[in-house]
Amino acid sequence: MTSAPLIRLRGVDKHYGEYHALRAIDLDIAEGEFFSLLGPSGCGKTTLLRVMAGFEEISTGAVAIAGRDMRGVPPNKRPTNMVFQSYAVFPHLTVAQNVGFGLRRRRDLNAEARATMVEDALDMVGLGGLGARPSQALSGGQRQRVALARALVLRPKVLLLDEPLSALDRKMREQMQEELIRLQRQVGITFVLVTHDQEEALVMSDRIAVMFEGRIAQLAEAEALYRRPASRRVAEFIGVMNFLPARLEGDAVAVAGLGRVDREALLAEARTDGEAVAGFRPETATLLFPGQAAPDREAAGTVTEVVYYGDMTYYDVALDGHDAPVRVSMRNVFGREILARGARTRLAWSPGALVLFR
Amino acid sequence: MLRLYAWVFLVFLYAPIALLPVFAFNDGTVIAFPLDGFTTRWFRGVAENPELHRALGNSLLVAAASAGLSTLLGLAAARAQVRYRWPGKTPMLGLVMLPLVLPEIIVAVSLLVVMVQVLGWPLSLWALVAAHTLICTPFAVAILNASFAALDPAIEEAAIDLGETRASTFRLVTLPLVMPGIVAALLIAFTISLDEFIIAFFLTGSDTTLPVYIWSLLRFPKELPVIMALGTLLVLASVLILSLAEWNRRRGVRRAGGRDAGGFL
Repeated sequence: MTSAPLIRLRGVDKHYGEYHALRAIDLDIAEGEFFSLLGPSGCGKTTLLRVMAGFEEISTGAVAIAGRDMRGVPPNKRPTNMVFQSYAVFPHLTVAQNVGFGLRRRRDLNAEARATMVEDALDMVGLGGLGARPSQALSGGQRQRVALARALVLRPKVLLLDEPLSALDRKMREQMQEELIRLQRQVGITFVLVTHDQEEALVMSDRIAVMFEGRIAQLAEAEALYRRPASRRVAEFIGVMNFLPARLEGDAVAVAGLGRVDREALLAEARTDGEAVAGFRPETATLLFPGQAAPDREAAGTVTEVVYYGDMTYYDVALDGHDAPVRVSMRNVFGREILARGARTRLAWSPGALVLFR
Repeated sequence: MLRLYAWVFLVFLYAPIALLPVFAFNDGTVIAFPLDGFTTRWFRGVAENPELHRALGNSLLVAAASAGLSTLLGLAAARAQVRYRWPGKTPMLGLVMLPLVLPEIIVAVSLLVVMVQVLGWPLSLWALVAAHTLICTPFAVAILNASFAALDPAIEEAAIDLGETRASTFRLVTLPLVMPGIVAALLIAFTISLDEFIIAFFLTGSDTTLPVYIWSLLRFPKELPVIMALGTLLVLASVLILSLAEWNRRRGVRRAGGRDAGGFL
């Protein structure tokens, strides 16, 4: 980020009476970025989005958008537009009237120019030709698109999306995820997305801020967030991670079930001394074929559970010397046998995939 | 058995009303069977009675004014109830709804005392408008509450987000969506005020409303069939207005995309 950030939050705090909804949020979002606020419900992510939109006053701190201090600036005067979780499509208006709603105030445009902009916006979200429909006659996915078109037609500097896909079924959601990415690249507008779905955040975002209890727990690019979570809590919230008790012994770490590892060889660590926890993702380890040699290290164990997914099989393996099983995901490549429960197996792993937590 | 009970109940409830048109068209001054033959002269009596017309005019004026006022107050109360929180909200809204269960005779007597003894106002139709507004407001609040509750708060926020002010949002989005509720509240308040007797009896002086005028006619048995004719017309008008109100309310619920959560009919 060489240029000044488009959105700059400094020390933002928000209290609702006794409840501390946002705690000392510092955040910079660059122009053209697809940024996600990810967290469980009640973590403050929606509040933070509404702070950017101007629907919530902040208790302390500062919000600036496009270099302008937003203190006291109401939502209708901000360079932001929002897509609401419920879509909030105006039920008494047609599709075209909905999309053209925000253009009413544009005195510089005549009716013809407005109609063209509405039509273009509808084309962009794949609703071309449906302008005359009453919005009541639309499906959930279509309403979503109307809400998007209605916001994008105004060319805001920032588009704020509040869990826009949570009401759609799985197929529709995946389709809309890809469309949102395409749309964002096409219009080049900064998107800020609120979601509780880690997969959604990973798929769509350039950068993700994971929030717990009103604080940003980690802010990173999708891959860094997944591979090097800053805390055990972040690791648990994003994807699946195996945790094994570990003890620091000088320059080495003794990991239960796996053995001793040089600390230098670890992928990441978030602690320097005493008792710790080592974690690795299920796909970073593999079960070895009989007779196959491990590329790096190996550990023996017993299969305790087999979950078959067609293309994948998830195995729970109890490593010798540690009772709690670890999960390993294996692609069902041609020729590989599906192991049965109780089978002995060897697990190939690498110190370079281990993350150490407090 | 339950079915039979239901039918008996309905007959008991509505048979007297069904008798109204029967005697309104009966050619005789005695309200009793057997009937004497068909006539429309009682309706002519209704049409040609200037005192009755004045009473009707007064009633319409009072009903229109109190319907307007109570709907306006109801709009404010319902919006406050659904959208805002403040200390003492529950008791305050309870007080707004209280006239719904308060005996009208109590309201009538206390208003009479306050207006005449305490404030020293002369009895007038405007005193009655004030009183009717009091008793109609809870109905307006109840109806408009449903309208506002069916309205997604995000819809108003979306309008503000798209550049509208609070005032223009209310005009462009909120008002059209609760309009059916407003119309229903107006119609129901109008009907309630039009029918109201006890308070009108206490608070009107020489200018009476229709129910009070009808009551005064009861002293003259010869006028009774005229009352029957008038009653027939009033029942028709009431049914019409209430049906209109309910039809309009249901249409509104559909339009706002909400689910129907009751209503009065």
